[in-house]
Amino acid sequence: MARIHLNDISLQFRVRQARRITLKEYIVRRLYREAVNPFIEVNALRGITLDLNDGDRLGIIGHNGAGKSTLLKLMAGVYPPTSGEQKVEGSISSLFDITLGFEGDASGWDNIRYRGYLQGETPRSISKKLNEIAEFSELGKFLDMPVRYYSAGMMIRLAFSIASSIEPEILLIDEVLAAGDLAFQNKARNRMQDLMSQARLMVLISHDLTTLPTLCSQAIWMDHGQIRAMGPAHDVVAEYQRSVNGTVPVLAAA
Amino acid sequence: MLGQLSTIWKFRHFWLSLVVMDLRTRYRRSVLGVGWSLMNPIMMTAVFCVVFSSWLNNPDWRQYGPWFLAGLTLFDFVRSSALSGCTTFFRNESYIRQCPLPLAIYTLRTVLGAAIHYLIALGVVLAAVCVLQPHHISSMLSVLWTLIPSLLLLFMFCWAISIIASFMTVYFQDSQQILEVLFQVFFFLTPIMYSPQMLKDRGLGILLQLNPVCTFFELIRETIITGNIAPIWAYQKAIIVVSVFGAMAIGCIARLERKLIFHL
Repeated sequence: MARIHLNDISLQFRVRQARRITLKEYIVRRLYREAVNPFIEVNALRGITLDLNDGDRLGIIGHNGAGKSTLLKLMAGVYPPTSGEQKVEGSISSLFDITLGFEGDASGWDNIRYRGYLQGETPRSISKKLNEIAEFSELGKFLDMPVRYYSAGMMIRLAFSIASSIEPEILLIDEVLAAGDLAFQNKARNRMQDLMSQARLMVLISHDLTTLPTLCSQAIWMDHGQIRAMGPAHDVVAEYQRSVNGTVPVLAAA
Repeated sequence: MLGQLSTIWKFRHFWLSLVVMDLRTRYRRSVLGVGWSLMNPIMMTAVFCVVFSSWLNNPDWRQYGPWFLAGLTLFDFVRSSALSGCTTFFRNESYIRQCPLPLAIYTLRTVLGAAIHYLIALGVVLAAVCVLQPHHISSMLSVLWTLIPSLLLLFMFCWAISIIASFMTVYFQDSQQILEVLFQVFFFLTPIMYSPQMLKDRGLGILLQLNPVCTFFELIRETIITGNIAPIWAYQKAIIVVSVFGAMAIGCIARLERKLIFHL
């Protein structure tokens, strides 16, 4: 039973301008009576309320810096909310960044194991899935090579194969699929549709507005940390396009 | 806290596989392999025995060599746990940004790697004692079982130090440099090269009391070299040391873990 429940979630954090202050800078700034390490207050999310259950497929669209990835990471449990109520039930599989969580010096096979263990698998369960994951990624001999030599597309193939083979109850995908080639994007779309037919929960961030309505039933439009529109994917995408382009959009055949 | 420990146990395949990978990567391209990590302490022992033997009143190198090596490798274990702990969160940043695992797992990875090196070095010390002092073998073997609780306590101590150092470095960048200097000074204040008696004779016995590493010297080094089981007060002191540092580590985790991601 997968479920994501967010009630009036807000997330604020302070980012220091200079990431880490050395002793010398500290003394110099103190001497000149300047603020030692001034911070910028970031209101990443404000008043987010969402209720998702089994079988929901949510798409998130919005401008760069709207808080889409932050919201996804909050759902995954990486960022704690500053205020509000959050309940996430179900095993989570997330794809946030192509290179996140890969050990560069290890081969593709080893990385399948490490990422599998990271998602809670045991050696026995991952051995059964090893060949299936390798086949889906279509990387063949490249799996014997250290991952540091992979291209971005190869890494995303591997990452997606692992993340979706684990049979998670909740699948969180940040805008990573764009790096794959056309054949892979078709494969990924089919795999995601399979997952959805198994009544799983999926949240997807994408800038590809033509494919998003085919994958997601609902969508939200994020603007400066707030939900500006929520509803059926087609409608929200159309509203967003209208606001950005100022014209009536031509939608691809659904 | 118990919830964290059970999560850490649940993800044991993850950090165990990373420890194995770290060990393999470290010696992938070298000829001697793990032997390299032993070279440094063995060479230092050889140098000290040969060069400084006259300075330290001509001790018998057959006795002094293993004694010095035992102390040096233990100190190295504590030192490398603390210093590698400093950069743990930065090295594992990609995992921290992806999955909300207990942060203690990442320090466990480095401390376990250092522990394996230490155990290999300890093996060398035991072998040295067997070879250089054959009359001593039976008494040493009879007390070896007492090393198991001592080593467990030492491991927990190093893990606690690693956690404290890792949180410190995120908030104060200079922590790593400061710790390096402190350990240099610490090396000479700890009875590794000289016997604890030399400090007591000069009225500096208080340094021995305050030094947590000395407790583990009593438990591990003296047991191997003298073949006597360590006294009860040494175990009690070790438990106190582990409790104090463990409490500090748990305090760091309880207060700082949630918001750490914002400071990375």
